[in-house]
Amino acid sequence: MVVYNFKKIQQVPTASDFVDVVLSKTQRGTPTVIHAGYSINRIRSFYMRKVKFTQTNYAEKIALILTDFPRLDDIHPFYADLLNILYDRDHYKLALGQLSLAKKLIDTVGRDYVKMLKYGDSLFRCKALKRAALGRMCTIIKRNKAGLAYLEQVRQHMSRLPSIDPNTRTILVAGFPNVGKSSFMNKVTRANVEVQPYAFTTKSLYVGHMDYKYMRWQVIDTPGVLDKPLEERNTIEMQSITALAHLRCTVLYVLDISEQCGYSLAQQTALFKSIQPLFANKPLLVAVNKTDVRSMDDLRPDEVELIEFIRSTGATVLPMSTFSEQGVADVKGAACDMLLRERVEQKMGTKKVEDVLNRIHVATVRPRDARERAPAIPASVRAAREARAMDAEGGDDGGVLPKRKTLRDLQEEEGGAGVFSFPYQNYWDLKTDEWKFDVIPEIMDGKNIADFVDPEIEAKLEALEAEEDRLIELAELEGVAEPMDDDDAATHELAERIRHKKRLIVNKHRDDKGGNRPIVPRSKVIRPERTVEGLKRHLASVGVRTGDDDLQNLRKRGRSTSPRRGLSASRGDAEEAAARTGSKKPKSELTPDERKAAKLVRSHSKVAIRGESKSASRPRSRSVAGLRDESMVRSADKLLKKQQRQRNLHGKVGESDRVITMKKEKWMLTGKRGIGKTDRR
Amino acid sequence: MAQGDHIDLHRRRHGRRLDHDEKARKKEARGAHTRAKYAQKVKGLRAKLLNKKRYSEKATMQKTIKEHQERDTKHRDKEGGPKDAVPGYLMDRENMSHAKVLSNTIKQKRKEKAGRWNVPIPKVRPVGEDEVFKVMRSGNRRKKAWKRMITKVTYVGDTFTRKPPKYERFIRPSGLRMKKAHVTHPELQTTFSLDIIGVKKNPQSSLYTSLGVITKGTIIEVNVSELGLVTPAGKVVWGKFAQVTNNPENDGCINAVLLV
Repeated sequence: MVVYNFKKIQQVPTASDFVDVVLSKTQRGTPTVIHAGYSINRIRSFYMRKVKFTQTNYAEKIALILTDFPRLDDIHPFYADLLNILYDRDHYKLALGQLSLAKKLIDTVGRDYVKMLKYGDSLFRCKALKRAALGRMCTIIKRNKAGLAYLEQVRQHMSRLPSIDPNTRTILVAGFPNVGKSSFMNKVTRANVEVQPYAFTTKSLYVGHMDYKYMRWQVIDTPGVLDKPLEERNTIEMQSITALAHLRCTVLYVLDISEQCGYSLAQQTALFKSIQPLFANKPLLVAVNKTDVRSMDDLRPDEVELIEFIRSTGATVLPMSTFSEQGVADVKGAACDMLLRERVEQKMGTKKVEDVLNRIHVATVRPRDARERAPAIPASVRAAREARAMDAEGGDDGGVLPKRKTLRDLQEEEGGAGVFSFPYQNYWDLKTDEWKFDVIPEIMDGKNIADFVDPEIEAKLEALEAEEDRLIELAELEGVAEPMDDDDAATHELAERIRHKKRLIVNKHRDDKGGNRPIVPRSKVIRPERTVEGLKRHLASVGVRTGDDDLQNLRKRGRSTSPRRGLSASRGDAEEAAARTGSKKPKSELTPDERKAAKLVRSHSKVAIRGESKSASRPRSRSVAGLRDESMVRSADKLLKKQQRQRNLHGKVGESDRVITMKKEKWMLTGKRGIGKTDRR
Repeated sequence: MAQGDHIDLHRRRHGRRLDHDEKARKKEARGAHTRAKYAQKVKGLRAKLLNKKRYSEKATMQKTIKEHQERDTKHRDKEGGPKDAVPGYLMDRENMSHAKVLSNTIKQKRKEKAGRWNVPIPKVRPVGEDEVFKVMRSGNRRKKAWKRMITKVTYVGDTFTRKPPKYERFIRPSGLRMKKAHVTHPELQTTFSLDIIGVKKNPQSSLYTSLGVITKGTIIEVNVSELGLVTPAGKVVWGKFAQVTNNPENDGCINAVLLV
């Protein structure tokens, strides 16, 4: 089944675009570097490739255009004629023909130049030949400029043609301009055609779809036709004529009975007469429109005669009013039925029907004997029928039984969807139906809850609440709350302190945790607090009693297990002593190491770093080697921090980050190394 | 309006955007700037193309301006149209006065006698034999080198029959043989694709002439019977000389100027 829409035709480039596209494709699709030093064979094939590539590209593109555009001989005569009217058949064929000639010419040029390139004996000559070849191909395309532009226009217009299927069930609306064809279309379909109170609002064919008898119907709205000889008709009218001539459909000829369109009934009948040959072999329906303005009864005798004449040609005449929508449905139904009958009749005439009919067997029952076997109708049904019949005879609202109450009605009564819960009980299969709606006991931990419910709990609760209200009232009357005891106050204060302390600890922990600072391994951090004395102080601050008597075990254990070795141990002792006595050693008495450690502890208030625990004979750390004294160290330190601050903030590379200064190319790194192949592989 | 023309339909139903005119005006006003920016940025082939386009635009614009100005000045043609009206069928021959044709033929005859040519391309670049002939090796062991292949375009007549290939000294490859030439008539300023009748003279050497080698400056004889030229005596001219103006081996075609 051919589907006629021309939306899939690809865009036709303009001549200059065409050239640009193909040349740039050649540039991208073929190698671009060649040297005079290469062997002549290589040079030749380099340029031959370019010529061939361009030629095939042109040929492909042109072939695509040629195949995309439909050939007028191959498509349905309706479309062939429509295209002829809209774009001029000769022009169309000429444009395509020229294009195919161009393709042939380009092929010849390509072939010739490839042949000549075989004899090219220098880079220059090959290049000149290639240049000439591409130039000639492009010139051929440029000569087709007008044709390409025309085809592009045609393509754009064709892609917007309504996709009319010439073989399906169709109703074609025809008539004088402004008689209400488009209005009818808008009434029966959803095409939304423009309707205006002037002639030739519709300038091209419009298609809409509707449903009738569960089938899809196509309604075609045509531009108005004037009564003149065929040769004088313009493009707009010719579209209607083409549709009338080629489509197998019901023709719906619309007459304007009110003559508001500006043409008398006589003129409209004359047109009907003149285009009557186009209605041959088609079901014809004449819709007398605008009966809301002037009804069929108001016709003058001469006009009645005209209508009678139309009727005598075999057409069905039906009144309708697209304004008041009276009769529109009738017209639609009648038109569809006529076509359907016609189509079935035609199908019955063909051979295909035979094939199908052979396979169809309609079985009819032959009576076995004389006995009558009437349908068994239950007595209740019969009674109901009789009752209904009685009602129909007697009652005014003829035989309508009271409406059965459905589950949906029940739902609406019970509060609508979402509120209503489906009565599953109705479908339970129990021994006795009465049980269905019994209350189910709620069981919890193997016991019935109902057993534990005090039946008077509501009353008791109420009593309690009343009591409470009364007490509150009394308290308000007294106005003064009971004062707190001393014991209570002390407890409260203590609790408050404990909470405060806890909050402090948590905050401190949180402060220590995050932050933008280097993380020092635990093993490297000096913790001057981690001594027995420190622990004691901590315990005291937390509120544990720390008298000597209370912590005997701790002191003993501290002395016996902590190892003392080397310088650090002695320093630990010194600090411990200092902490214990609460007095500080003057700075001059400290060893240099001690001094530095102390300084470090101070300078990094958050991150304490362990001092050097090396023998004094070893040289100083290189980071401080060139510095004169402490103040210099400090200022250097400050400078360093200041300089690094910005980089740290931005997370930039610092001195300490791992760096690959030069990335070697892959070939320098991969592959097996032979002897002496470190630098070239 | 066709049914599928949704843009147009929408415009009819709802109108354009409220700021459409404003936007269009602004875009147009901005256009010059956009183009200038592109022109400054663009490089290479695109720049070349752009400059060509702009130049041609400018030229047409100046032409139009000039036309408008001329129209305004009410310029009057002093010639006053053609002096004597000529019927349509004689239009093409208006320049062919009898005396001139005579003198032309006399001149040609004289020239032919003198053997010198006053031709469009009087001087040609000398083309050496090493350029024209490519040495072909022959013999069972490829050691003989007396065969030559002609690497230029040649004209080979229809009646030519090859010698037995073994004894053929000059090979004229069929890929480089040409039978047509694009001949320009200098007065009519039109070009025709004409059949070549023969090579009259190759200025490089008489050997080339006899071999039919066509290089730039070669005089060829072309079949002009299509043009319908007539001698003063009333005979139809069918052969005329033309000089080749391009290097056919580089262009893949022969361009020539008719010698009148």
